[in-house]
Amino acid sequence: MRRILLVARRDFIATVSTKGFIVGLLVLPALISLVAALAPRIPEMRRPVSGEVAIVDPTGRVSAHARAALAPDAIRARRLAEARRVTAPVAGAVGPVADQAIERAVGQAPSFTVVQDGPGDAIDDIRAWLLEAGSASPRLAVVVVHRDALLRRADGELGSYDLYTSRALDEAGERALHESMHEALVSARLESADLDRGAIEATLRVVRPEAVLVTAAGARSSSRGLAQLLPFAMGLVLFIGVVVGGQSLMTSMVEEKSSRVVEVLLAAVSPFELMAGKLIGQLGVGLLVLALYVGLGLTALYSFAVLGLIEPMLLVYLVIFFLITYMVFGALMLAIGAAVNQPNEAQSLMVPVLMLLVIPYMLSPMIGQAPNSTFAVVLSFVPPVNTIAMMARLGSESPPPAWQVWATALLGLGAGIVATWFAAKIFRVGLLMHGRPPDLRTLIRWARQA
Amino acid sequence: MATALRLRGVTKTFGTVRAVDDLDLEIPRGTTCGFIGPSGAGKTTCIRLIMSILFPDSGELSVLGHASALAAKDRIGYLPEERGVYRRMRVGAFLAYIGKLKGVPESAARARASRLLERLGLAGVEEKRCEDLSKGMLQRVQFVAALVNEPDLLILDEPFSGLDPVSVRRMREVIADEQRRGVTLLFSTHVMSHAEELCDHVVMIHRGRKVLDEPIAGLRRQYDVRTIRLEPLDADADVGALYDVPGVASVRRASGGWELRLVADSDPVDVMRRIPGLVVPARLEFARVTLEDIFVRLAQQGGAVRDEGALRAHLQGLDVGASA
Repeated sequence: MRRILLVARRDFIATVSTKGFIVGLLVLPALISLVAALAPRIPEMRRPVSGEVAIVDPTGRVSAHARAALAPDAIRARRLAEARRVTAPVAGAVGPVADQAIERAVGQAPSFTVVQDGPGDAIDDIRAWLLEAGSASPRLAVVVVHRDALLRRADGELGSYDLYTSRALDEAGERALHESMHEALVSARLESADLDRGAIEATLRVVRPEAVLVTAAGARSSSRGLAQLLPFAMGLVLFIGVVVGGQSLMTSMVEEKSSRVVEVLLAAVSPFELMAGKLIGQLGVGLLVLALYVGLGLTALYSFAVLGLIEPMLLVYLVIFFLITYMVFGALMLAIGAAVNQPNEAQSLMVPVLMLLVIPYMLSPMIGQAPNSTFAVVLSFVPPVNTIAMMARLGSESPPPAWQVWATALLGLGAGIVATWFAAKIFRVGLLMHGRPPDLRTLIRWARQA
Repeated sequence: MATALRLRGVTKTFGTVRAVDDLDLEIPRGTTCGFIGPSGAGKTTCIRLIMSILFPDSGELSVLGHASALAAKDRIGYLPEERGVYRRMRVGAFLAYIGKLKGVPESAARARASRLLERLGLAGVEEKRCEDLSKGMLQRVQFVAALVNEPDLLILDEPFSGLDPVSVRRMREVIADEQRRGVTLLFSTHVMSHAEELCDHVVMIHRGRKVLDEPIAGLRRQYDVRTIRLEPLDADADVGALYDVPGVASVRRASGGWELRLVADSDPVDVMRRIPGLVVPARLEFARVTLEDIFVRLAQQGGAVRDEGALRAHLQGLDVGASA
């Protein structure tokens, strides 16, 4: 055991201290977190545009509504309402922390000063007004309301408006202008038709209730938005942890074999000790990656005050299924590493192994949507894809019964034992073999020989 | 004397090739055994079987009193023929790691490694990365790795191949120290002169089978002297009279003098006595039988020698790129 742990320790340190590992797995998520943390604050940092907007209103009935809609408070209120409408289904339960995040994301509204005595509707006048120097605040835009903006034409449509802008108006300001003019025109049209806007909006509004999940254990509100993301996220975390651990296991094995250090090691440890040590060492690497991504995910959930949506048992299952999946795929990757001479020779052998990981991972959103379908249930009993399928089901809104979870774990464990047995055979034969890289048939022959 | 290593009927086959064939071997503790034979004879496979890196198809092994080297790896030092290190690791850390794997505390392993590196002309390389060292330096580092645990059984597979003469001398001094310490040394080589200089017992392997297992001293007695070397005082002296000496089969030029081959049933002492009366010698001696001669003779008896010149060049280490 002492030797196994020494090999594991060296392998772990050698892998996690490489620049590639640090850049790929620590710096990258750190950068993403940094961007994620800073992005909502970018609107705060940006100074909103401020200046004059002239409204040419031949109808005489739009400009009052436009002035009201272009007020900073009105723009901000509209944006907050829209942001809440968009994020509500994803966040599930929007808490005060999420509300603050939305307010930060919306940022400050542009400040428009609406002027009445602007130019006429001739383009030369508009150009002269927009480009005239010496005004106290920059001239941003001229809005020319169509004469038929409030009257239905023969074809049944209504007119709209034209917008002329100067270079001083930025994209956010232009968007706010369009939103405000939309609001102003709708209000003016309703008013001219003598319709009650409040009554019409109330007629159109159907409040979407939160679904209540009814199970034998009781009823609780469900959050479909997150429910759709969670199985995919669980599959992703499992996939990344196993692929990173398995890949570095294969790479380190090939390196040891090609640098011929393996015979020096075998002078000090048995083939079994070497194999077990390497499996444990790279298991540590996989667990580190898993912990990193789970930690990032939990931090994100915490910051949106929806941490309670993750059940602690889900994390326990995640670790159990990670260990089982790693046992299967780690052993196979190690066998490939022991069989080939150079990393590029491993590609043809790795493709079928990786496919067994990629396919259930790609299917995990579908499994999450129909977690108790025949397909999902069958898939969660077929090693070696069963663990990822089961993880996707566990992350869904309708988790499987406990017996199915443990049956999957047992089947996975069995597959792990078979894979390790196979890998041990290949390991013993392949370690000192050099020359033509073996194909799958040769590997099976080696396993029979050993 | 207790036995350090014992093999009984060990056989190992790869596909249709019988790499080791029914091999018996016994090496007493504290002795130095030369494991000799041309490349491809099965020496390295046999060593890997002893080290439990490979496992025999049949036969029994005993290593330092254990049924397998797996139980005695902490007491064995092994320098494989295929050199290898962790290229990015520092030399000191690599040697300490190998020491720890063999149960030596890190501080003791580092101290012993430093002493050995200094003796081998590599003082101060501990902080260098292995990839920054030359091939010869790496070979000496690996030699230190084999000794870092003060082994009871030391197995060196072609330890001098590719080394410069100074490095060979330094390594031989360290080996001599280990021999004095009482280590059992199994020394595998295809260069017969190396085995002659270091070993007190040789085992010859040819095509997976043992063809010789004798003490060096016994070999010299067993393989009779058939050649006399003569260096005349006058380099231009007439040696024609030597052809008429009873028992002389042939006289031919050799480096710095002449070589007299004797007929099979002649008395070499009688021939030796007659020569000074015919040609005044500056040097006159019996040519000592070499392992190379013995090996060639044994191989010829087995009908396995197609090109004696090439075989002799190989046994003198004059060919390049051979592997077992």
